[in-house]
Amino acid sequence: MRRRTFVQSLVASGLVTLASSKGQAANYQVSLRFLRPPGSLSEEEFLSRCIRCGKCGEVCPNRCIKYFGMENGLSSLDTPYIIPREQACILCMKCGDICPSGAIQPIEHKAEPIIEKVKMGKARVDTTLCLSYQGKTCGVCYRACPLQDVAIKTGMLEQPHVLEACVGCGLCERSCIQIPQAIRIIPNHDRLET
Amino acid sequence: MNKVRWLVLSSVFAMLVLLPFLHLYQSYEAAHAYDLLLPNEKAISDSMEWLTSPFIKDPEKDLNQLKGTTWSGTLFGYKMSDPLAVVGQIAASGSVYWPFLLTALIPILLSIVFGRFYCGWICPATLIYELNDNLATWLRKVGLPIGRRKLDKRVKYLVLLVGIVLAGLTGTVTFAAMYPPAIIGREIYYVIALNGFGAGMIFFLLTILFDLMVAQRGFCRYICPGGAVYSLLGRFRLLRIKRDVSQCNDCAKCNVVCQFGLDPLRDNFSQECNNCTACIAVCPTDALSFTVNVKDIDYQGSGHLGHQYRRQQEQNSEKELA
Repeated sequence: MRRRTFVQSLVASGLVTLASSKGQAANYQVSLRFLRPPGSLSEEEFLSRCIRCGKCGEVCPNRCIKYFGMENGLSSLDTPYIIPREQACILCMKCGDICPSGAIQPIEHKAEPIIEKVKMGKARVDTTLCLSYQGKTCGVCYRACPLQDVAIKTGMLEQPHVLEACVGCGLCERSCIQIPQAIRIIPNHDRLET
Repeated sequence: MNKVRWLVLSSVFAMLVLLPFLHLYQSYEAAHAYDLLLPNEKAISDSMEWLTSPFIKDPEKDLNQLKGTTWSGTLFGYKMSDPLAVVGQIAASGSVYWPFLLTALIPILLSIVFGRFYCGWICPATLIYELNDNLATWLRKVGLPIGRRKLDKRVKYLVLLVGIVLAGLTGTVTFAAMYPPAIIGREIYYVIALNGFGAGMIFFLLTILFDLMVAQRGFCRYICPGGAVYSLLGRFRLLRIKRDVSQCNDCAKCNVVCQFGLDPLRDNFSQECNNCTACIAVCPTDALSFTVNVKDIDYQGSGHLGHQYRRQQEQNSEKELA
């Protein structure tokens, strides 16, 4: 009889789980400024898909992918992140290929699919800090951008203007010679939907 | 056979240590900056080049064929994942991602045939737990109190269930933080390629303490959610250890050596057995061997080479004479 009640309770709690997982509300809040690897699903979906295997960081040739400890809450423990000022993504798309769980979707290593699907964030220029806006011709961020004239263009005195196609790889933020950096990636945590 | 198993266990563990170094080597190669490396980085780069150059041509690309850990790895281009990871993901996301489920197909099929073989033959935590258990035996000889409590084996199914419920409630794959093989692979990678141990190491040390102070191999036997999945998968496994009653002499060495606290002497292996072959290796009369069978055999009585059986035979023959 004990065995039967045990099995019954197993089934009952399984049903409770299924019911509760359906009715989840989006309650994710961001306190740190970080990026997820290119091709990541929207934050909530990413957390439910990622199995924390660490292969994305292991395959990253630029070693920009690092892993959270407790600092971003328990739910993102051991999940990958990128701080573009420390080391930015070079859009090689190897992490999406290696990811087994589908948390990072595979994207072809070509300009069009990358511009279309990668939505890590968007660069924003702080004109009070940017040298070019202060009259000292710079243009480093424009030259660091892998999608020149598509994601960023320059005007007078190499003043950068970020365009709609910016994927948020962070190479501009990484390369900015101003301290603190005058161009920053504003992370986009809605990213892809399945 | 047991020595082969130790070889497999330690080579899996060695791979886990090697792969982060290969990752470092690969990133140095990708940067084309050998001259800028620090002396210790140059040493890593040189030794890894020496190790891999006979097998691959372009380290930057070819090494991608070999990545990850036992939790989820890419083995010569084929992705393989732990069934527990799939269970965790389905519970957390409430949907099935088919490409991921397929990566767990080979482990699942192997578990259906071989039972909990993963626990005994591959799991990198098993290597440490078994060494830890040898340490426990030694500590016991010295006279320190070592816990040998017996708990309910079904606790681990409860842990599996609680993990599934938690995954569903929080929307994250909770098993990744409470499953030793996943933790070990990750922590080795962190400590070699990134900046030191993460939070999982504390959990792993706690499980080692649990094994020492509460129950022998307690985590694997009573708590491990992955062990629970493998036990369930291997419930009707084909490969089982069988006792040949005509060879057995009731020495009970198999019962002593079994770290999972099973009872090979009474033919009672059940789904908990991880086919580790320790009992086969220790048997002095070669009475234990693998068979292909879907069910365990019931208790066959005392061994034919033992005193008890011989006495019974004598009594029977005396009765026949009388």
